[in-house]
Amino acid sequence: MFEILKNKEVGPDIFYLVLKCDELSEQPKPGQFFNVKISRKLSTDPLLRRPFSVFDFDEDQNILELVYRKVGRGTEILSKYKAGEKLDVIGPLGNPFSTEKRSGLIHLVGGGMGIVPLHYLARTLEKGEKKVFLGAENSDELEFFTKRFKKMNVEIHRAAMTEKMEIKGSVLVLWMNYLDQEKPLFVYTCGPEKMLSAVEKECLKSSIQGQLSIERRMGCGIGVCLSCSCETTEGNKRSCVDGPVFTLGEVVLNA
Amino acid sequence: MPEKNASEKFDLSIDLAGLKLKNPLITASGTCGNGKELDNYFDINKLGAFTLKGITVSPRKGNKSPRIAETPSGIINSIGLENPGIDQFIKKTIPEIAEYRLPFFCNISGYSEAEFLELAEKLCGRKEIAGVEVNLSCPNIEGGGLAFGTDPKTVYSITKKVRKIYDKLLIVKLTPNITDITEIAEAAESGGADCVSMINTISAMKIDIDKQKPLLGSLTGGLSGPAIRPAAVKMVYDTFKKINIPIIGIGGIRNGRDVIEFMLAGASAAGIGTINMIEADAALRIIGEIKDYLKKHNIKRLSSLIGKAHI
Repeated sequence: MFEILKNKEVGPDIFYLVLKCDELSEQPKPGQFFNVKISRKLSTDPLLRRPFSVFDFDEDQNILELVYRKVGRGTEILSKYKAGEKLDVIGPLGNPFSTEKRSGLIHLVGGGMGIVPLHYLARTLEKGEKKVFLGAENSDELEFFTKRFKKMNVEIHRAAMTEKMEIKGSVLVLWMNYLDQEKPLFVYTCGPEKMLSAVEKECLKSSIQGQLSIERRMGCGIGVCLSCSCETTEGNKRSCVDGPVFTLGEVVLNA
Repeated sequence: MPEKNASEKFDLSIDLAGLKLKNPLITASGTCGNGKELDNYFDINKLGAFTLKGITVSPRKGNKSPRIAETPSGIINSIGLENPGIDQFIKKTIPEIAEYRLPFFCNISGYSEAEFLELAEKLCGRKEIAGVEVNLSCPNIEGGGLAFGTDPKTVYSITKKVRKIYDKLLIVKLTPNITDITEIAEAAESGGADCVSMINTISAMKIDIDKQKPLLGSLTGGLSGPAIRPAAVKMVYDTFKKINIPIIGIGGIRNGRDVIEFMLAGASAAGIGTINMIEADAALRIIGEIKDYLKKHNIKRLSSLIGKAHI
């Protein structure tokens, strides 16, 4: 059982959950996720675990940071947990981002809660020039993320749909403005599937390599139920164990 | 302390139509992969038996996503029998399961009688497989599209023909989406089934009220999990009165007490499904809980409970 150290609202319906981990089978890698049982011991509400990707991990103290948005019954119940309580958590699970050393400009493009795994990724990537593009509905949703990205050596660009930040509109438009002027060596992206599809299209057009992290409704998270199957160039794959990270061009996305 | 040890010795073994299982727990098809996925979490050799993910003649990509919806104490799934097809299964999966030491059952689904027979024929003589479970919940394409398992005559006919080809354990899995499940169980018994497994998922749907559309990609699916357990227990209870072959009870089992309930209703063994998705090593806990129950009630042999709730 993982002990909750912190579970507090850091933006509109956005919660920051800090957990003291039990012994882990391995250290989590960026892009991996943990599957959290939200129901208390004998309860069946909600029945399934909820997958959350790693926002950050402190390997010295074994402290795991997750960020989630309160969107439904499961996350509503989770948001009520208090520091000191314990959660049944399994992980790390899933196929991580590749973090091999690359000498060149890296773009990270995140939309909404898709920003979460990019944070741990940015922190893990070796030194080198990195630009992160963050998008959300409004600036309040980006406040916590911005504060955390500012602690690292990355250039931050932000877009909000309902107010002017660097631009008013989609992070995709903002990112493409930069793509007109420079060609990154590698692009990492996570967010709504439509956004992923557009990022992928641009990258493939300009022969830029990259990876995306996909979110499909999961059942088990361990590869047994095939709920999260996605169509790829090599047949169906499970987003929980073969993903959630895939190479750009590999998955048939719902645009 | 020999006395204490003696009092903690319980016989959990089960006789499933001549096949001896060390305990009554069998994974339910489709909720447990093909062995190695769960083996990452516990030694699957500790299970009574393992039912593999359903196989069809041709490879199937499965249904559109989303394929799963959560409901009160349950889930609705519409995976759509995604599988690599029988030939690939024989080539790839069978060698993988050969390393384990427990009985494996192969769940087969056909869209015509001929497909069931082809599947049974290809699995016949495979020493790695201890039995087949015939899934009759697919639509009968040649017979008007209704599920095979809803017509006693069809169930009798398929069971009889598979029986002729297949000489090891023959399980027929029953769909609950019918007026009287006991008629289907009787048809399976008359056709020569060694046992029946019941119940398959209950036909269900969930509507996304914000989008005002069905949530699942294939619109409807099958409900499983604790929500269906009382319905499943009743069907096992009713069926036990009508047939003489063993029943594998399935439906929302998540602890040892649930297994006991199914056995009292008439099940000889217990299929565990949805719980594997939440707690991969649930089987180990459940085995411990069964022992606790036997100890509390001073029962030596678990099988003595089968059908005991019948007055």
